[in-house]
Amino acid sequence: MSGLEALFSRRLVVCVGPGGVGKTTVAAAIAIAAARRGVRTAVVTIDPARRLAEALGLAPGSDDLVPVDVPGVEPGSLRAALLEPKRAFDALVDQLAPDEATRDSIHANAIYQHVSDQLAGSAEYAAMARVHELSARSDIDLLVVDTPPSAHALDFLDAPARLMGLLDSTFLQWLIHPAASAGRLGWRIFQRGTQSALHAMERITGLGFLEEISEFLLAFESMAGGFRERAHEIEALLFGPRCAFVLITGASAASLAQTEAFRARLGDRGIEPAAVIANRVRVWPNDRVLTDPSESADSKASWNAILSQALRPSLGADAERHANAALDLLDGYAFGVASDRAALGPIFERARRTGAIGRVVPEFASDVHDLDGLAAVEAALFNEDPERP
Amino acid sequence: MTSIFERRLIVVTGKGGTGKTTLSASLALAAAERGLRVAVAETGRDGAMARLFGDPQPAGYPGREVRPGLHVLHLDPFEALAEYLDLELPLPGLSRRLLANRSFRSWLEAVPGWRELITLGKLWHLEQQEDQGRPRFDCIVVDAPATGHGLTFLDVPRVVVSAVRSGPLRRRAAAVEALVLDPARTVILPVTLAEELPVSETLELVDRLVRERGVSVDRVVVNALEPQPAIDLSELAARLEALPAELAGAPSPHGIAACARHLKQRTDRQQEQLKRLREDLDLPLVCLPRLAGGVSGLDDLRQLTIHLLPGIDA
Repeated sequence: MSGLEALFSRRLVVCVGPGGVGKTTVAAAIAIAAARRGVRTAVVTIDPARRLAEALGLAPGSDDLVPVDVPGVEPGSLRAALLEPKRAFDALVDQLAPDEATRDSIHANAIYQHVSDQLAGSAEYAAMARVHELSARSDIDLLVVDTPPSAHALDFLDAPARLMGLLDSTFLQWLIHPAASAGRLGWRIFQRGTQSALHAMERITGLGFLEEISEFLLAFESMAGGFRERAHEIEALLFGPRCAFVLITGASAASLAQTEAFRARLGDRGIEPAAVIANRVRVWPNDRVLTDPSESADSKASWNAILSQALRPSLGADAERHANAALDLLDGYAFGVASDRAALGPIFERARRTGAIGRVVPEFASDVHDLDGLAAVEAALFNEDPERP
Repeated sequence: MTSIFERRLIVVTGKGGTGKTTLSASLALAAAERGLRVAVAETGRDGAMARLFGDPQPAGYPGREVRPGLHVLHLDPFEALAEYLDLELPLPGLSRRLLANRSFRSWLEAVPGWRELITLGKLWHLEQQEDQGRPRFDCIVVDAPATGHGLTFLDVPRVVVSAVRSGPLRRRAAAVEALVLDPARTVILPVTLAEELPVSETLELVDRLVRERGVSVDRVVVNALEPQPAIDLSELAARLEALPAELAGAPSPHGIAACARHLKQRTDRQQEQLKRLREDLDLPLVCLPRLAGGVSGLDDLRQLTIHLLPGIDA
């Protein structure tokens, strides 16, 4: 197996890439392809387009697994779930809170209500916790995950570590338990330099603000053990051999720059993506190269003459105008195809060097929002034809 | 409708991949070329904005002038916080020491909304700055975080005002909130593609911004529209399909017809989404064409400003 089918032997496939490149459709197409080959697959998606969600049978407000009915896929082998980070986080709090009082006080906290999904990447953390939970199920062979859109690339990778860092933070310990922390060596060193700054900060932020924030964080301390344990398990899954990362990009300069940043962040973690997929790439219809933007003016003039002559019997005097329009259109098309191809050159070159699978999904005439569209994406990813560029 | 440049703060927001950065850069270029002193601020990764202006070096913080009258900066929250603390704290250097402390940073990372608040605070500060009796910047363009995050970005001052009872932080947040809500000074400029998902998000965004938050939105930019061809593409395709599939010495007529049909379908789908925007939004749309070679430098930005100006500076 030299194609993307190699992904199906993993437990978890994580689709990452900049916002707006079509992670959801690619994730769904990979999942359908896996299910078609008899792999019991679940696709976990976040924020799909409404019509795509409907096509998959997903309804907002529920994060349950639902069966997806796709022609050519044995019923039961494909399921889908919506990932709702806020809901997942609430569920996690309910699960990990030591008692009802703690749980209620967290839910009642004003800061939690306003911004709980931003706490130290908690949305990403919760999303990954839900993925981890699903990956433990014995009735699922493969989980394909569409990652949350995040302001900072790959937040979800760092979310477990960030949350652990917070809970271990001496600063937090000091704010929560000033007396107990006073004797610690690390704290004394920290304190010597910054105590006056902290007093000044209190003056700046307003009376009680630091305490207020910390009171909120304190509630989480009671759940630290549970969070920490979960975080370790999530990290082991994400960075272990059972997980593969698929990098998805568009062909625009902005998209490629962000993709490169994602790749570098994965590289920091010692991860090379298993596959690189360029989505919505301008290609020739039916894979047929018609012309090249570098074609000489002379040959264009001669094309125009030939085409005009061919059109003259039906169009008469209007033949030349049509020939001009046709060749202008062809010119623009060729330029678009060549631009995308050139832009994608470096990322595919790197994929080749690192042994990653490269694939191109063409730009279709309309958005992919139904099972037919997904089938077209699937065909582009899994047909015999290897990558085009 | 008034010129968008009469506003002090233009916040460009939209779904990922809709072209926020290129739109912000084009706006800034247009403003600078009509003689305004303009700052354009990046909130994401550093570097993309300066590169669009042909400068390979990231602008960094507090940024620099990349063209006459055009200042680019990267709104790094840690840098902004250090600057703020330096202004407020009695002892110079203290803020750096505090911010260099790993434990403090780890705690700070967990404080919800601090990045957004300090980022907006810095924008407020830029808006307030004066140079020889007139504003240092006539106009500040912000390449804001993507929608979803974009709303949170603007929500934070209100949350602080409601969560913190008193003190300087509350006063600062209230000043920032007043700037964001002042239609004479601030406008939010959503940018979208003419595709289903971005259009749905834009409709939702505008509704929430205007109805729930009361901020000013007076137009929406629709980016990357396929250029409308001068000729009817279906008719052209039909004419070409009536010819032999191949012609000696010229590209295949049927091949060109397939390209024409593809473009026709794309433009039709885009027109449907434009129609949705027109019907569901009571706002003017500013349409920008898709540049075949993408937007990677000053020449591309110039081309975009030509299309942009009639809709924003009229």
